[in-house]
Amino acid sequence: MKDVKALLEEMKSAPYKLVEVAAPHTGVVEHVLTEPGTKVTGPQGSWGERPGTLLAHLERERNKKAIRAPMRGEVEKVFTEHAGRFVEAGTVLYTLRHYLTKDEVIQEILKKTLYLFHAREQAKYYFFPEADTKIKAYGPQSVRVRDGQDLFIVSRMKRESVLPYSGPEGMIYAVYFKDNHSVEAGQPLIGVCPPDQLPLIQDVVNRVKSEWEERG
Amino acid sequence: MRIVQACVKLGLDFVCVHTAADAHSGHVRLAREQGGPGSLYRISSYQDANELLAVADDAGATALHPGYGFFAEDFRFARRVTERTRALTWIGPSWRVIRDLGDKINTKRLARGLGVPTVPGSDRPLYDEPEAEEIAANLFSFQREQDVARPVVLLKASAGGGGMGIEEIHDIDSFRMTYRRIRNYAKRQFGDEGVLVEQRIFDFNHLEVQILCDRHGGEPLHFGTRNCSVQSTGRQKRIEVAPGFVPAELRYSFDAAAVLEAVKDHSLAIAREAGYDSVGTWEWIVTPRGEPFLMEVNTRIQVENGVSAVISRIGGKGGVDLIAEQIRCALGERPGYTQKDITFEGVGIEYRLIAEDPDNKFTPWAGRIDSFSWESAPWLSVHTQVPTDEPYQIPTDFDPNLALAIIWGKDLAEAKARGLEFLDKLVLGGTDSTGVELKSNVEFLRHKTENLLVF
Repeated sequence: MKDVKALLEEMKSAPYKLVEVAAPHTGVVEHVLTEPGTKVTGPQGSWGERPGTLLAHLERERNKKAIRAPMRGEVEKVFTEHAGRFVEAGTVLYTLRHYLTKDEVIQEILKKTLYLFHAREQAKYYFFPEADTKIKAYGPQSVRVRDGQDLFIVSRMKRESVLPYSGPEGMIYAVYFKDNHSVEAGQPLIGVCPPDQLPLIQDVVNRVKSEWEERG
Repeated sequence: MRIVQACVKLGLDFVCVHTAADAHSGHVRLAREQGGPGSLYRISSYQDANELLAVADDAGATALHPGYGFFAEDFRFARRVTERTRALTWIGPSWRVIRDLGDKINTKRLARGLGVPTVPGSDRPLYDEPEAEEIAANLFSFQREQDVARPVVLLKASAGGGGMGIEEIHDIDSFRMTYRRIRNYAKRQFGDEGVLVEQRIFDFNHLEVQILCDRHGGEPLHFGTRNCSVQSTGRQKRIEVAPGFVPAELRYSFDAAAVLEAVKDHSLAIAREAGYDSVGTWEWIVTPRGEPFLMEVNTRIQVENGVSAVISRIGGKGGVDLIAEQIRCALGERPGYTQKDITFEGVGIEYRLIAEDPDNKFTPWAGRIDSFSWESAPWLSVHTQVPTDEPYQIPTDFDPNLALAIIWGKDLAEAKARGLEFLDKLVLGGTDSTGVELKSNVEFLRHKTENLLVF
């Protein structure tokens, strides 16, 4: 049994993470936010419908794309040397200092308490259509998995193969990959909660909710 | 890489794009060597049209070569490139030609209109399951009427290519499950869930005709035939041989020379009718009885162009570079020679060296290449993105193709002997993240060399 309190203390000792905001594609950069230390917010609302703070614009093919803060925090560094220049995809434009939210802390601790099913190889992963439909409609916790169940489609080098789930029976509590994104070998794909672990999971959620102080 | 080399040969400036995963590829190193750091741009994806055009604009490029991939046969992209405010020259067929011939169905209709034989099956992409099932059922009945012992029907992703998205069914009961699988795969990989239903022809040879046309309506030219029958179980090519048959060296149960002439003539007729204006490949199935059926037209330069080039002579001279010819014609030049000036000498073999496990359905192998070298010879050219002086991690976003080796011999026997010599002296080693040794198709290539062009 994991010591949730110890895990929480560990998180409290390092409550920040540095997040790089990179150009998602090529284009000419126009910085909007230029002062380090400025507070920024990430997407808000039930569906993330209120976008994060505008950081910069990236113009390509006469389309100006807004580069927004992906999460709440403050600006650590602005790479102003790129201002007005055509940058390559992946060029880092900002570094943000982000204070972990309750949900993120819960997710981090759950990663250490749930049964994690890992990617065997670097590839793109998709759920089998039956599970995919359920997850998209009702969320991951609507799907129960059992050992040997065909659960994933692995797409690698233009080929697809079936990957069955192996591990304890339980509900999918967390999904750690996205459609069409490459997952590296060894990264977790899903976190599964066996029925006997449910009380522990609830304990994690309750403790974090009561003990973690969110900062703006 | 060969596009960069062709640009260098023609004295043209160039810029290259690459993704983060491809940062250590050979084309990146070559571009850096030949064009300097300003000739390289890192983009988010090869499949993002905006990336390519933004880079072209920033670099001040005047023409765009789409490579061998999906964009090369995307008529919408070709149209956009040539009709935008800052128009670029498209190095490939004009978009109307890509639209007309790039679609397997249109090609089939055009071919049938010219009396060119095509594979029996649907003549348009099918989106309706019951309709597709009915066509499949009719094809099974047709084969039974023809006394085919084990009738088989192929289901293909209409928008697919390169052997991807093709499955066969042996009875109509398994139709629905396979149809749905292909449809879902097609939607994920190609964004179009259209499915073709065709008769599966067994024991066929896969031939290609290499065509070149200029932009002035000149008479279409051909650079001979290739035989691409050595394929993986996923019907992806592994060895190409030019010419397509060698009746002077091997005996065939049909008039092989006449078949080669027929496929060339049919291909030229379609190219003429379609107003073709670049390099392209006409793909054929030839049955054991010597009946040719047009399969499709690839409206782009294919990776195997080099094996046709190696046996081609223009005005008696070798060193033919079809990519350079493609670029010249796209830029408005005329070939400067006619079909009479194109002759053929010897036999070419192209091996596709791939990190895969032929004993396990050609499963791709991904890992790190630690050693890769071969012995140079005047009859050998090797095109590879894999460095020979440092380890190389194979990116997993693409096929694990390691190299193309093109071998020339004065006849088939010499080409085969040289091919085996190359394979014998090849050094290729590596390990994956779990310590498993590299798997490659070298033994498969060696084994298949023995019976090349035997039919």
